[in-house]
Amino acid sequence: MNSTLRRGIYGWIAFAVVMVILPHVVGTGVTRSFVFAMYLAIFAVSWDIMSGRTGYISFGHPFLIGIGGYTTALLTYHLHWPLFLSIPTAVVITMIGGTLFFFPALRIRGTYFALVTLAFMELIYGLVQVIAPNVTGGTRGLSGLETIVTGAIPNYYLALVVLLVLGFTMWLVIRTHIGTALSAVGMDEDAVRASGINVTRLKLFAFMLSAFAAGLGGALYVHYLGSIAPRALFDVGFLFQILVACLLGGAGTISGPIAGAFFLTFLLEWLRPYFPGPERFLIYGAVALVLYVYQPNGLHELVRNGLKRLNQLKLSRNTS
Amino acid sequence: MKFIDMWKPALATMAALVMLATGGAAVAQDKDPVVVGYIGSFASDTGLSTIRGAEIAIDELNEAGGVLGGRQIKFVKADTREDVVEGVKAYEYLNDVENVDFIISGSIDDVSLAWLERMAEYKTPTLDTWTSYVGIIDKVVQEYDKYKMYFMNIACDEALATLYIDFGKDVLAAEMGYKSTVLMFEDTAFGVSIAGLVRDLLAPEAGIEIAEEIIYDANTVDFAPLFNKAVDSGADFIYLVSSVRSQVPASQYVKLQVRIPMTGVNVAAFGQDFWNDTGGLGGGTSTLSPVPSVGMQLDDRTAAFIEKYKARYGNERPIYPHFNGFNAYYGIYSAFQAAEAAGGFEPLDAWVEAMENTDIVLEKDGEMWFRYAFWKQGEVEPRTGREYTHNIKFDVTEPFDDGSPAMVVVQWYEDGNVAVIYPKKFANGTFQEPSWVQ
Amino acid sequence: MLQILVQGLVLSGFYALIAVGFTLIFSVGRVLNLAYGSFLMLGGYIYYQGAQVVGLPKFPSLIIAGIAGAVFGMLVYRILVKRLSGNVVAVEIATLILAVVVQAAVVLVFSPSPKSMWPLVPGVLRIGDASVTYNIFIAAVVSWILLGGLFLFTGMTHMGRAIRAVSMDSKGAVISGIDPERVNILTWAISGTFGAIAGVFLATYTQLDPNMWVTPLIIAVAVVIVGGIGSILGSLVAAHIIGMLETITTSLIAAELRGVATMLIIIAVLLVAPKGLFGKSEL
Repeated sequence: MNSTLRRGIYGWIAFAVVMVILPHVVGTGVTRSFVFAMYLAIFAVSWDIMSGRTGYISFGHPFLIGIGGYTTALLTYHLHWPLFLSIPTAVVITMIGGTLFFFPALRIRGTYFALVTLAFMELIYGLVQVIAPNVTGGTRGLSGLETIVTGAIPNYYLALVVLLVLGFTMWLVIRTHIGTALSAVGMDEDAVRASGINVTRLKLFAFMLSAFAAGLGGALYVHYLGSIAPRALFDVGFLFQILVACLLGGAGTISGPIAGAFFLTFLLEWLRPYFPGPERFLIYGAVALVLYVYQPNGLHELVRNGLKRLNQLKLSRNTS
Repeated sequence: MKFIDMWKPALATMAALVMLATGGAAVAQDKDPVVVGYIGSFASDTGLSTIRGAEIAIDELNEAGGVLGGRQIKFVKADTREDVVEGVKAYEYLNDVENVDFIISGSIDDVSLAWLERMAEYKTPTLDTWTSYVGIIDKVVQEYDKYKMYFMNIACDEALATLYIDFGKDVLAAEMGYKSTVLMFEDTAFGVSIAGLVRDLLAPEAGIEIAEEIIYDANTVDFAPLFNKAVDSGADFIYLVSSVRSQVPASQYVKLQVRIPMTGVNVAAFGQDFWNDTGGLGGGTSTLSPVPSVGMQLDDRTAAFIEKYKARYGNERPIYPHFNGFNAYYGIYSAFQAAEAAGGFEPLDAWVEAMENTDIVLEKDGEMWFRYAFWKQGEVEPRTGREYTHNIKFDVTEPFDDGSPAMVVVQWYEDGNVAVIYPKKFANGTFQEPSWVQ
Repeated sequence: MLQILVQGLVLSGFYALIAVGFTLIFSVGRVLNLAYGSFLMLGGYIYYQGAQVVGLPKFPSLIIAGIAGAVFGMLVYRILVKRLSGNVVAVEIATLILAVVVQAAVVLVFSPSPKSMWPLVPGVLRIGDASVTYNIFIAAVVSWILLGGLFLFTGMTHMGRAIRAVSMDSKGAVISGIDPERVNILTWAISGTFGAIAGVFLATYTQLDPNMWVTPLIIAVAVVIVGGIGSILGSLVAAHIIGMLETITTSLIAAELRGVATMLIIIAVLLVAPKGLFGKSEL
């Protein structure tokens, strides 16, 4: 085990320990905010594994999350399926449905991919309202969905377990040669293909992993909310949060997007007492914009540069 | 030595602060404020209407010596930005951080539906003043124990539509002689459900046939093909149902000078600011409106509320509260009337029962004009034959002596005046076709 | 039938106007400006402020909106895009964040309540059974003029040829002595102006509200995808395909499927001809 991997694992352990203790230290309000932060982190991680390294920027991630959310919502609300069946079904449907729609789009490169995925999101937003509004609840959505656990603390631990398992798994994945290959796709796909790697299979793998996390996260999320509505999922605002969380944190690093999601969620909550009204969202957006333009590689890069500088400082002190 | 000197003033201030804080706490202990939370948008006209209505009522109660044995009311607010998930976060914030006793809401349909589950979890008494979605009332009817802390003091959309059909019968059919219509509605849940009620009742009740139905995408840019289709159908008028981007069909109707009259539901026309917002392009628009609407005559107490509103907010928009501003004002009174009777907002059952028994009757010239009371569990509304537990006690039949009318129809004239045109009891104007209709 | 033809043509021209500023930046700078919808929104709001609140005559208000659009376009380029140049993804994201920031600012300044406006040119044009407002008809005509002008500009003038050269091969352009910085600034200014003017037409035809940037962005994206990157002719044809398709869907099939039809055509084109119907890499 090399030293960076070991340091990373220590980091995850420290993160897990802190998160486990946290709800006993902070108030319920903060705990509730953490639940939202962790769901955003799950979505961010899901986006990151597919788009963070490959350069296939997905603007349609809410589409995947929405498939998962709506599947389990409809199954439990109308057909009264138990949660232990509906949630796995939702995950599978997300992976299948997502593949049917998204995978052909993976043939399209770069910017066009972003646009076509955006079109998917808009399409499904239109369809949910038009097709069978009696079943989907139309624009108003459905309320009174079954919850898995109730209360702030049980929901906190549920989200935490999912985040830790998904996040750590993906973090390990990008540390294998798959991660390297995904980065290579982002730089020069043709070269990767020429070197004999099956790029299609590679992309499919990353996509499946991403869809799995999105479907699972989406399903658990709607059961946490207790309600589902098109505007909560297929929305530019939601897409914005996922994207900005990833990019502020540092795309392609898995740990960065988690940090980004926490930062964004708490930024909004910190601002609430001082700017309760619409100024809050202006400041929130402006902070995101300035940070992003200042360092497009995100917090992760800032921290790494900081550590590097620290090391250099130590080195120079040792030598002198 | 020097160190201590430097810090002396700071230490003294800190000590003073500590004393103040503890002393303050001691005083507050016997006069803890009652905390009322607002959930809804901070910037929209509808959101501001609820905030201001509640603020005025709370200030009146505080000035009159407080509530529940002299306690002051503290008003705290959480913004939803009309966003579903922000709504859930705001509801959690009010409960977990602000520890509210009661919540007054200016939320729209899907936002209310989203925080409703949190309400059932926290069991916080909550009053909605804007959404009229009957689906929420149905939840109270079906699962009373889970949702009993919920009240809605605007008549639900089903009641609105029921009375609205009478407008078709009494005015559109009987007075204007219209025989057929084009039902044009947006593909939102609101549009589809109102259109469904109109479709079921219009022909049998009012004798107006639906010649054609047009359901349109809420983001439609160009209504010209739709209006053409409507005119081609040969119908006498257009029945529009629009809640999202409602100014688009209303103003394109004027811009295109569509040759047949149009009435219906147009949410944009609910506020007094409509005229300025359209730069005068709202002429001819008539819409059903929840009460109290713009252009409506008021009883003395409500008129005094409006005077206060105008004095306080002047030219800040909305220059006149939307219906939910009135509902919030009286809603605060109902909630505290119930709290006084029950000895507070806890225990919940006592407050809910007291709230069900609140009854604010507002009379004008000796007649019932408005009423803020609620349907009780098991009570059946005679005309629709169903229950509306915890919805405002509305009335859908002449002579409107059981409650506020479920709605009135208002019309914006081409000179910028607005008047109530239906029902007769409340009318101060008549239905008029726009000048370009031949 | 005539109705559908007339209304479809006019709407198509209007869509071409909405899309042209977006296409321009896409082909010259090779970046997606997701804040393009904000150009339209700002144009609309500034025109509203001038014409309806301050009470200026319509034409000066339109000019002011156009100038403001140019300034805003140049600012976006200077402050955001240039700093992130070379990183296409970063520009996409930064402009998306910018769009959200602008939306929040508009809510704060103008309130979220929608506003409608008197048309730039009032009145209705009746061709046979079809009625079309002069406003949207003029918008279509303006779009033809602007597109034609742009075509001539890029073909005939020195600066225009420079733009074209940069759009074909920016490195080659530098070698042949073109200053890409000037070309870029100019392109963003033109795009800003076109966007703002389109925004005035859009706002006077529909309504002003802080969410209004999304619809034109989607239209522009649809036109670019169907037409192919950087082809003015392609954009024009694509705008007509989409405009006609929408009008046919609305008046003959089912009005509620308007948006769905557009999305389906985008997806179909991308899958069949990923580079668009007229895909090429220069103007």
